[in-house]
Amino acid sequence: MINSKKLKTLLGKATPYFLILPVVLYYAAFWLRPVIVSVIGGFTDTLGNFTLQNFLMVFNDKAFIPAIRNTAILVIFSVTLEFIVALFLALIINRKFVGSGIFLFLAMIPMALPAAAAGAMWITGLTAHGWINSLLSYLGILAQGDKIYWLAGSEYSLLALLIFIDAWQVIPSVMIILLAGLQNIPEETREAGFVFGGDFLTVLRKITIPMLKSTIQTAVILRLISAIQIWLIVVFLLGFSRMPVLVERIVFYHKEVRGLDISYQMATGYTIIVSVIVSLAALAYLQVSGAFKKDVEETA
Amino acid sequence: MKKKKTVNLFKLAKTTTFYIFISGIAIAFLLPVFFIVSLSFLSVREAYQYPLPLLPSLKTKFELTHGEHGYLLSVYDNYEDEYKSVQDTSDLEKLSEYMKYQLATHMTVEEIEQEIAKLDTQDPVYFSQNKNLLSNYQTFLRVAGTGQAIPALLRSLQICALTILISLSIGGMAGYAFARYIFKGRNALKFSVLFVRMFPGVAIALPMVIILANMGFYDQPIGLSLVYSVGSIALTVWITASIFMGIPESLEEAAQVFGATKLQAFLRITLPLAFPGLAAAAMYAFLGAWNETVSAIILTTFNPTFSVIVYQTVLGAVGQVNLAAAGGMVMALPAVIFTFFIRKYINQMWGGVTV
Repeated sequence: MINSKKLKTLLGKATPYFLILPVVLYYAAFWLRPVIVSVIGGFTDTLGNFTLQNFLMVFNDKAFIPAIRNTAILVIFSVTLEFIVALFLALIINRKFVGSGIFLFLAMIPMALPAAAAGAMWITGLTAHGWINSLLSYLGILAQGDKIYWLAGSEYSLLALLIFIDAWQVIPSVMIILLAGLQNIPEETREAGFVFGGDFLTVLRKITIPMLKSTIQTAVILRLISAIQIWLIVVFLLGFSRMPVLVERIVFYHKEVRGLDISYQMATGYTIIVSVIVSLAALAYLQVSGAFKKDVEETA
Repeated sequence: MKKKKTVNLFKLAKTTTFYIFISGIAIAFLLPVFFIVSLSFLSVREAYQYPLPLLPSLKTKFELTHGEHGYLLSVYDNYEDEYKSVQDTSDLEKLSEYMKYQLATHMTVEEIEQEIAKLDTQDPVYFSQNKNLLSNYQTFLRVAGTGQAIPALLRSLQICALTILISLSIGGMAGYAFARYIFKGRNALKFSVLFVRMFPGVAIALPMVIILANMGFYDQPIGLSLVYSVGSIALTVWITASIFMGIPESLEEAAQVFGATKLQAFLRITLPLAFPGLAAAAMYAFLGAWNETVSAIILTTFNPTFSVIVYQTVLGAVGQVNLAAAGGMVMALPAVIFTFFIRKYINQMWGGVTV
């Protein structure tokens, strides 16, 4: 017979698991199950037999290589550019000032905009009679009646445009984060660096950046994860298939060429590819934020 | 004394330069936002001008005179600084319609007749009328998605409410467990949840088409909120865990000493203290569900969400910048407002998740 005290401690030990159970069940039903369905779908043909045909189809898609290349270019250049500019701005601003609260909120607005709203903002600007050309002509940069056809440029100029738009949306927020990180570094540490004869660059390289390391790492990886999934702005500005990117392919095959037998398989194939890439980045993030340390270390 | 003054001047110059720099950054980044706001208030006629007006006019200024076909109506053009003829007709209905749809200015036939009556004493007649600044918003809500905009808006709000409900109840419980108990697998569980959060939503949406169809939830608000909750539960777990950690357990214990049960202590003491943080978690869930487009495109056919309506309108209406701007504004406004309230938490999330 179990006495009531023992039962009570047993129940007490079980309490956290009861509280977490709903999340576990929910994730089993609405995360793990779709992931499994997706993986099975990716490796079976229409009759349900194991096959690698779906991936071969994706690899043979003539938009596959461009999609990988465009996504890679967007990710690498936008994340790099965003960090350099944001760090530069943060280093200049780095001090407390009157009105910093309002400034920091204003800087957050671009990031707060839903993708559909940001897309509306840029498409109204980049059409030939949009606000960007209008502004340039008010400033006298464009002769009266002249227009720049922003969306008719070469592939590389369009990529540059997309990188610029992404940078516009992200730089202010990254700057805020770096600013917060900078303000956590005690002033004395950097002063000490100057006292021992370091110039601005040396102090930046040897003291400031190393102390900002964890902030930079987390923010870079989170940025990577969202940059890999960029698609809406691309489709808004250029339509489907003109500048293929990975997630755009999923929507393209699911929504634009629906009804075809291959479209589901293609969409699933691309989905799995995106999932694997993002998961790798997510694992890197977990590594950086100390997920793989032992329980003891964290609770100690 | 003199030396002190120069130092002050130097300091003043430095501060001024600093603020000019700061304002420069703010202006550069907010310029597109300024333009979408401005564009959303333009009348159709203004929106087809090039260059586009920098600011919408608040009033429409008219010039009325006798024309070849009846009455000649001209509208004042700010950019060219002169009156431009727009209509020459004797059909007053047509004039009134033109004013309403092209100039966003409401004038009834009777009001136009009054102005025409003045032509007996003076020619031409000048008059002005307030512009209906919300005209584009009304048109967008009426026309976009072939009349689906308002149902879609209500549907989106319903999806947001359901997502908040699911993620706060399920995620909040787990968050409390992570904050108050030390147990085996705590760290692994907590980071698994974070991994789920980072997993691409679009990867869940595609297989969910079949799963939701089997449940009868495809193309239903509840179906989408089930998908959105996957991401927002994870976020809620992390936010609520950090909130509950910040509330000392000794407060609950004190209440229990005074005879309250554990549940009572939680409801009376901890929950009210945690309220601001819970509200922030709810707003996060709202933002996630409100802003999302990819899953919504994949998981709806006849019952689109508001973001899908904006997506379709913007994609199809490149020529109508004023309508696209109005749609974008309706989409952006709730997002910006909620972000304002949770800005503190957003910075914490990005700056490294250290709970």
